[in-house]
Amino acid sequence: MRLSGKTALITGAARGLGRACALRFAEEGADLALFDLGGDIDEVPYPLGGADQLEHTAELCRKLGAAVVTATGDIRSQESVARAVEAATDRFGRIDVLVNNAGIVAPSGKDLHEVDEREWAVMLDVNLTGAWRMTKAVVPGMLPRRSGSIINVASTAGLVGYRRFAGYVASKHGLIGLTRAAALDYAPLKIRVNAICPGSVRDDPLVDGRMLVEIARALDVPVQEHEGTFAQGQPANELVEPDDIAAAALWLAGDDSRRVTGAVITVDGGYTVR
Amino acid sequence: MSNSAAGDLARMCHGIAVRLPRMPEMEEVRANLARAAGQVPALKSLRVWAEPVAFPAGDARSARRRATELRRAPAPEGPGLRAVFLEYADGPAELVIVAHRAVLTRDGLRGLAGVLTGSGGPAGEPPTPAGPPAPAQDAGARTPAWGLGDPARAGRHSAVALGPVRASGEELVRAASLVLSRYTGGEDDAVGVLRDDDAEAERACVGVVLSERRAGEEYEPCAAPYFPLTLWAERQEDGTLRGECRFDEDAVAPEIASRFARQVARAAERLAAGLPGAVEPDAEEIAELLAVGAGAPLAGHAPTTIHAAFEKVAAARPGAVAYTGEDATLDYAELDRRAERRARALRGLGAGPGELVGVCLERGADLVVTLLAVLKSGAAYLPMDVRHPRERLRATVEDAGARIVVAEDFPPAEGRTLVRPADLDAAPEAGHADGPQASPDDPAYVIFTSGSTGRPKGVVIPHRNVPALLAAVADDMRLGPEDVWTWFHSAAFDFSVWEIWGCLLTGGRLVMTPYWVSRAPHEFHRLLAEQRVTVLSQTPSAFAQLIHADAGTSADLAVRLVILGGEPLDVRILKEWFADHPPARCRVVNMFGITETTVHVTAQTVTAREMVERSRSVGGALPGWTVSVRDPEGRPVPFGAAGEIYVGGAGVALGYLNRPELTAERFVDDPYGGGRLYRSGDRGRLRPDGRLDHLGRLDNQVQLRGFRIELDEVRAALVEDPAVRAAAVVLNEEGDPRLDAYVVPAGPGPAVPAEIRGRLGRILPDYMIPGTITVLDDLPLTVNGKVDTARLPAPSAGAALVEEEPAPARGEGPAAAMLEIWRRAFGAPVSLDDDFFELGGNSLLAIRISAAMREAGLPQITLRDFYLNPTIRGLEAAMTTR
Repeated sequence: MRLSGKTALITGAARGLGRACALRFAEEGADLALFDLGGDIDEVPYPLGGADQLEHTAELCRKLGAAVVTATGDIRSQESVARAVEAATDRFGRIDVLVNNAGIVAPSGKDLHEVDEREWAVMLDVNLTGAWRMTKAVVPGMLPRRSGSIINVASTAGLVGYRRFAGYVASKHGLIGLTRAAALDYAPLKIRVNAICPGSVRDDPLVDGRMLVEIARALDVPVQEHEGTFAQGQPANELVEPDDIAAAALWLAGDDSRRVTGAVITVDGGYTVR
Repeated sequence: MSNSAAGDLARMCHGIAVRLPRMPEMEEVRANLARAAGQVPALKSLRVWAEPVAFPAGDARSARRRATELRRAPAPEGPGLRAVFLEYADGPAELVIVAHRAVLTRDGLRGLAGVLTGSGGPAGEPPTPAGPPAPAQDAGARTPAWGLGDPARAGRHSAVALGPVRASGEELVRAASLVLSRYTGGEDDAVGVLRDDDAEAERACVGVVLSERRAGEEYEPCAAPYFPLTLWAERQEDGTLRGECRFDEDAVAPEIASRFARQVARAAERLAAGLPGAVEPDAEEIAELLAVGAGAPLAGHAPTTIHAAFEKVAAARPGAVAYTGEDATLDYAELDRRAERRARALRGLGAGPGELVGVCLERGADLVVTLLAVLKSGAAYLPMDVRHPRERLRATVEDAGARIVVAEDFPPAEGRTLVRPADLDAAPEAGHADGPQASPDDPAYVIFTSGSTGRPKGVVIPHRNVPALLAAVADDMRLGPEDVWTWFHSAAFDFSVWEIWGCLLTGGRLVMTPYWVSRAPHEFHRLLAEQRVTVLSQTPSAFAQLIHADAGTSADLAVRLVILGGEPLDVRILKEWFADHPPARCRVVNMFGITETTVHVTAQTVTAREMVERSRSVGGALPGWTVSVRDPEGRPVPFGAAGEIYVGGAGVALGYLNRPELTAERFVDDPYGGGRLYRSGDRGRLRPDGRLDHLGRLDNQVQLRGFRIELDEVRAALVEDPAVRAAAVVLNEEGDPRLDAYVVPAGPGPAVPAEIRGRLGRILPDYMIPGTITVLDDLPLTVNGKVDTARLPAPSAGAALVEEEPAPARGEGPAAAMLEIWRRAFGAPVSLDDDFFELGGNSLLAIRISAAMREAGLPQITLRDFYLNPTIRGLEAAMTTR
């Protein structure tokens, strides 16, 4: 088991890629602190990770043999973040791996001059500043041990542009910048910081995925056929699976990647190399 | 704070798991806690967790979960205390409490469990946790030298089973102490002891953790090994001790830990049974130690004489060149023919089996022909260096009782026949054609070694040892007719036995290195390039100088094999060499050897890996050779422990010439069935994979103000310094005893003694810091190319703190003397302002001028001085301002 004895804190763990990572980590022996909003954000036009979904993730992980602690709170609040980190540390004594997965994809679907202040601010506050807040809260516990792995779940939108997604694209480009800068800050202290850039991920019902459908909605793609539409745009004519992202995260979390830091790993079926 | 501090926290924590028939209501638990917190405020910050476990209590996955919880240290910031209820799928539950030992004792853990589950008994007295523990102290140097741990595995630990042991806890502690003393040569037998209610124990490399088994609870005494090697034992119902040997992987290798545990268990049982010899290694351990230290058997090799082996090669390749020198080139047939002729003449003078023929010739064709001739005559040769003092030469011959001496010039001696090579060649051929032949068991040569103390002693090596040495390495090193060997070393140094016979018994071409070339690294480098030498044998000191010369030239070398021997190797010197000569193209082999065991004993191929690890490994024993490491009583010491290196097998000498007592003292019969062994006087340790670490001479251990100091350790620390390329350390017992160090600067920048001393202070304890550090251009080498401590200058006054004192001016000004030296060097008159380089000067000329100045008593100047001040006037100014 590649993560036995390690403790991971995963944000946005109620569903989607967060849940996929949690399950994969649990299979590999990790103990887990799972964090999600447990509510909604006014500006975001779709429901976010609920407390019941978070508990469901926890339950699935326990069945795999993991010890789990859950916490709900808004990543936009310094206090919520501190509470989640404190709970994880109190329960497990330490955090070895942080997966900054929490993120929102909408409000989007507008040219940037149509985006208002609040919409712009919430996008950056969750996707970019949220990762910074979590990292800031977790790193001090990693420093004395001279070890730790921080995984930022960015996006191909961190590498290339997408029309009508200016806020999202800017926030994910920012997250990659944050990854690279933090990697240098902590390289001497053996804390690694890497990013994963998922391409178009299929909405797997097993993890309650709904990202792709929300993107489709923002782009006015008919939601019944959206998977086919997105798959056609891929070099391999297929979508990325949540497990593919979890596998990359697992590698970055474990010691197999001990010399890897500042890396930006695309898991996009070749989308960004065309 | 570092990794170790985080590890220290887990080390200091213990925990219990208490079984409950069913999960309590958490409301109730929190109420119990709140009540107790009213009496004991320290409990206020305790959070109690509940964790559903998806498996039945008896499931292996549940056991894993419990073990994980028991070894999970509390958060570093907090009350130093954790509590979690595990609720199993089939109903029962378990309360796990982990606490820093300073916060709760084992009884305290139990009491807190009672409080939380509401089963605290009528008294209901809650335990009183002490305040949060102070941050862990710096762990200090706790890594045992014998542990062979892997520094790359810092922060990880592992365990092997211990027991069941039929002994008491006290007996286990005593046994651990006895076993430890075997690992430390009696230097250290302090074993830490930690019992359930102890908040802490004395720091020690090895410790015993003794636990009592109590009904209804599982106890974990330390969340991480309390001592780098921790023997944890819990008394069982049947009275035996059972537990685990847990260890930090950066401090102790698993192979060492498992054997240590087994040895302690055995010793404890012997103590318990009142049997003697608890500390003696048992037959099984000895058998393993001896087997691992032995090289592979020498398969298919029949004993033979050196000259018979040579004749076979000569007959197979008569026209191949055997010898190249400034004086002559000889093919195998010619060499054989000339030696045969001289052998007959020697027999005519009375040489034959049992006789010793002194040979004192400048290296060259005459010498190699004569050595072979002596062997063919049936006698053994006694090589002497023409550069040794005449008095020593005379004493050697007298000591050895050699009646015949072949020399061009030799001090006359009563009853000796002195004969020149030319006389032998001129002797009439008639008669004496056949005499008795030497057998493989007869002496082939006697080499006098000075050793560090006492008068030189002659080591008698029989014929069979030398072909056996070649049989041991020829395949592995792929020695053959394509090879070109240097003959670099004096015939009086047994490294030349390897060079001469190693080459001639494998059909190679032997390239004679004139003495002056062997002292001039640049010239020697040119010779290597011109002659396309493939096999190069060097002492590390000489090789370090050659590497220096190599770095400065573009000349292409054909060297494919470098054999290093004669002194300990600092692998760091190879960095520059590997940069230009990758190991894939040129193999570097470090060989540990002793004259008394026929040149070599072990071989370690050195690669970048050994260099990075700063390996002191000299490798495993050659096929046919054996090594073992023993205590002063001759008992093999465990793997990892330091002791005296004993060598056995195909290379062991017949003994010391005419020195029966010394022979009996140093050459011993192995009571453990290993045959005849030579006690080397070298310190070493054997690794479980059969490789030997060489740790210097036993007599390099000095006592200074009551401290036992390894001079080699101080030297190693100096060589680690970035400003230092080579170093020597001696004990100075004149007046107030102190260590004197000598260093050669690593680069063009200055080596400032005060700075080096400052850096040393971070590595070595105060008592090991040299009292003086003197900077030299080069270390003086012996005729054999080893560091010559006798020729080290007196330390410069206050060398540690003051730069360098100007040398006193002599006679007329230095400029006048320098004008004369330059005139001789350039072969033309020069003026005070002529530029050295414009005159055609090069680095070699600079070295010669510098040497001439030294001889003339002028202040020393370096190559760098020449570059900075290329005129006599400039140099003089530089010398006077220094």
